[in-house]
Amino acid sequence: MNDQTQSRLLQWSAVFLTLQSIILTISPAVRERTWDVDYRLSHWIGLLAWGVLTFLAHRALTRYLPERDPYLFPAAAILSGWGMLAIWRLDENFGARQALWFGISIILFILALRYLKNLLFLKNYKYLFLFGGLLITTLTLVFGTNPLGLGPRLWLGCCGVYFQPSEPLKILLVIYLASYLADRANIRLLSFPLLIPTLMVTSLALLLLVVQRDLGTASIFVFIFTIFLFIASGKRRILIGTGFFLLLALLIGYFQIAIIHTRVVGWLNPWDDPTGNSYQIVQSLLAVASGGTIGRGLGIGSPSLVPVAISDFIFAAIAEETGLVGTLGLIAIIWVILARGLITSLRAADIFRRYLAAGVVAYLGIQSLLIIGGNIRLLPLTGVTLPFVSYGGSSLLTSFTALFLLLVISNIEDDEPSPISNPRPYSVLAAMFALGFAACGLTLAWWSIYRAPDLLTRTDNPRRAIADRYVSRGELVDKNNQPISITTGESGSYIREYLYPDLAPIIGYTHPVFGQAGLEASLDEYLRGLQGNPSSMILWNQMIYGTPPPGLDVRLSIDLSLQREVDQQLGSRHGAVVLLNAETGEVLVMASHPTFDPNKLSEEGEFLLQDKDSPLLNRASQGLYPIGSAVLPLIAAQFGNESPTEQSLRVFYEELGFYQAPLTDMPVTSDKPGVNTEMLRVSPLQISIAASALSNGGILPTPRIATAVNTGEQGWVVFPALEQPKLVLQAEAANEAAISSVEDGNPYWGHSGVGQLGDSVVTWALAGTLPDWQGAPLVLVVALEENDLNTAERIRNAIMNEVLNQ
Amino acid sequence: MSGSIALALRLLAALALYGFLGWALTFMYREVRRQSVVLSNRRVPGISIMVKQAGGATSMRYFSQAEITVGRDPGCDIPLLDETVSARHAHLTYHHGQWWLEDLTSTNGTKLNDLRITTPTVITSGDEIRCGSIGLSISLSENVVIEPTQRIKKT
Repeated sequence: MNDQTQSRLLQWSAVFLTLQSIILTISPAVRERTWDVDYRLSHWIGLLAWGVLTFLAHRALTRYLPERDPYLFPAAAILSGWGMLAIWRLDENFGARQALWFGISIILFILALRYLKNLLFLKNYKYLFLFGGLLITTLTLVFGTNPLGLGPRLWLGCCGVYFQPSEPLKILLVIYLASYLADRANIRLLSFPLLIPTLMVTSLALLLLVVQRDLGTASIFVFIFTIFLFIASGKRRILIGTGFFLLLALLIGYFQIAIIHTRVVGWLNPWDDPTGNSYQIVQSLLAVASGGTIGRGLGIGSPSLVPVAISDFIFAAIAEETGLVGTLGLIAIIWVILARGLITSLRAADIFRRYLAAGVVAYLGIQSLLIIGGNIRLLPLTGVTLPFVSYGGSSLLTSFTALFLLLVISNIEDDEPSPISNPRPYSVLAAMFALGFAACGLTLAWWSIYRAPDLLTRTDNPRRAIADRYVSRGELVDKNNQPISITTGESGSYIREYLYPDLAPIIGYTHPVFGQAGLEASLDEYLRGLQGNPSSMILWNQMIYGTPPPGLDVRLSIDLSLQREVDQQLGSRHGAVVLLNAETGEVLVMASHPTFDPNKLSEEGEFLLQDKDSPLLNRASQGLYPIGSAVLPLIAAQFGNESPTEQSLRVFYEELGFYQAPLTDMPVTSDKPGVNTEMLRVSPLQISIAASALSNGGILPTPRIATAVNTGEQGWVVFPALEQPKLVLQAEAANEAAISSVEDGNPYWGHSGVGQLGDSVVTWALAGTLPDWQGAPLVLVVALEENDLNTAERIRNAIMNEVLNQ
Repeated sequence: MSGSIALALRLLAALALYGFLGWALTFMYREVRRQSVVLSNRRVPGISIMVKQAGGATSMRYFSQAEITVGRDPGCDIPLLDETVSARHAHLTYHHGQWWLEDLTSTNGTKLNDLRITTPTVITSGDEIRCGSIGLSISLSENVVIEPTQRIKKT
């Protein structure tokens, strides 16, 4: 019956791992959305090794331990297989090493089953084991290294093989405490026999903490010791006392020990420092959030973004690719091991074995809780491994030693357990673990479902930039469907290409490092396909690829041929030009000089950010210049020949929209409300809206630059107007003002002036069509960052002639 | 296409994971069932206890349960109203196919056939137990023959 149960559970594990392996194999095809890819195959070696070794261990167990607990081994096997695949997915080399370590662990496990079934030798040589372990740990204080080169030096290494002595030391401590306390039944608190292990454990923990900065192992030692004392004495005050002691230690450590301070601060306020001390935990939470309910699928997510994903953060890596469904299953499997371990402890034939089993359960449970809780910000982060799952030979060997002890203890032929003097600690321990894991489950649901949408839109979530490489972004085209920004390359290496770099300050950019700016930022939802596509399609893509659907093309009102002309006229002068359709508000030309080449952002980005000429700034809509006499014709039309008071002029300026950013679909700025009219600064776009009144019968349009989106199924869908046009001048007064501003017999009205405030100088040159113009009414604003009326007027006239002659 | 296949596989993998857990829970449930059936099949041979009060009055009690406590406390299975008997004085338990007598650290001790006992001791028919000044004599039912520690047949 035992063998049948164990074999059936192992079959389920094999099915689960095989399905995961198939997913990993086809994952490149899913990522790149084509069948023509290099499939991942190497992990099948690992799975095959897992199958063979597990079968051998199963055979050995049926032979040597016929009455063992049948749940423990399959649970450990599925966890270690799962961990191995997760590691293989992250890094093939480490995956192969993990498979090798799994093989070594299983072979030693089988040999131990054959020769070391009688555990009494552990009791007899407890001091030998303990001091051996302590000696090796002490050696790491002197000769310790870290295979990664950085961080705590917890390993002893030679010839490419590294070993972490603090891992087996935990098991040795469990063995020592079990036999020490089993020899002293009915132990009293505050008695001499308790002094020796107490002093030893506390000094060991302190030593690890201070010298090696290994917070995780130190706290595990203290927890294991507490649980032992609780089980041996049955006094609840031990738990309360240790809780108090730990709180005190945490408080002292918070102020005195740097590593504890960092961890606690990173735990309490991870969002304050997401790129520094809290980088790991924030990235871990992003991975959990990205997993959602069912996860991305093995090989399809991006768990390698989390630092140390193969060991400390393997739980977050698994969460990203199997989701809440997978992590809850993983927690349940750990819970099966702990529950069966506690049952084993209660059924044990003598006190030593009972304590030993309980200690092993305490070790496995505490370590799992610490690292899972640390990964999901339920507890402060402690760098320990997840038993059976994490990468690491020492960790895997220790986990299998623990499993071996539990299995041997559970193999009881005589079903008469030793009597128990105080059963309460066992139920308290079971309840504590149950509560701990339930809290982990709830926290996971909180991050992966409730908080996920917020987390995933954070700018420090690199998954957005990664998705951009695999999903084609929508194009930006001009009013005649001439492309401006396009996406080139193949899935997996899509890059954004900007065909008309002079428009860079207006179009902006989308870049994995520098983020987004300009229209690429403000139209991002359409270009990324998150708006304009059916929501079922967005959901489906999110579910199967974890990315948005292919982006939609957006048509701009920009006329590239005119734009080219304007950029040529403006040349190397600093300034901005806006050409507006005075009736519809469509922006036909928008230039801002100096400009930059967004195609070279990767190389020049840092330099551009520092540049004093601010080429990244869109001067036309975000540059603020002294208003000066720019709108004199409008003031004349409103107030006639009287000069207006400050109060009435400010009301008029508010009407014209100078005190608030124009409502439009691109990034805009405005001066603060309430600024004196003399001191007011406005953007060329604001001036162009106001000047539209002269060419459009006193009516202000709402400016817009995006006119339509190509939704595929329904073709081009025109964006509705953002706001109703607004009447600010009587039509006759406006027309009169326009006609009286005609200069030198030009077929358009014109006005120019200089604005100056401190060092800031601007020359305004305005022009617009006359009321009797037959085509679309147009308004042009030229703003030069220098005091040069002639040049400004020359540029304005050249552009106007070009525009009106078209 | 590859995405849909992967999605189906992901759902299947989740099913397999919960299949593992489901089977584990089912087996555990069956184990509990089996254990309870085994225990309910184990019959306890009846035990008759004759209580001899200090004054010489006697009374006969018959039990078929596996645990019997003796003491001055009225909640005991055999309450003994006597100053020399502790509140929970001794108990008789049936396990490993035997009836065992165990002293519960009573003040005046428990004697089996005039020998004071300190560890659980097997008792048989005709044994005389003395708790304080009260005597108990045991007679076991002979007619129930069972093999209590037999393992259930492997299925």
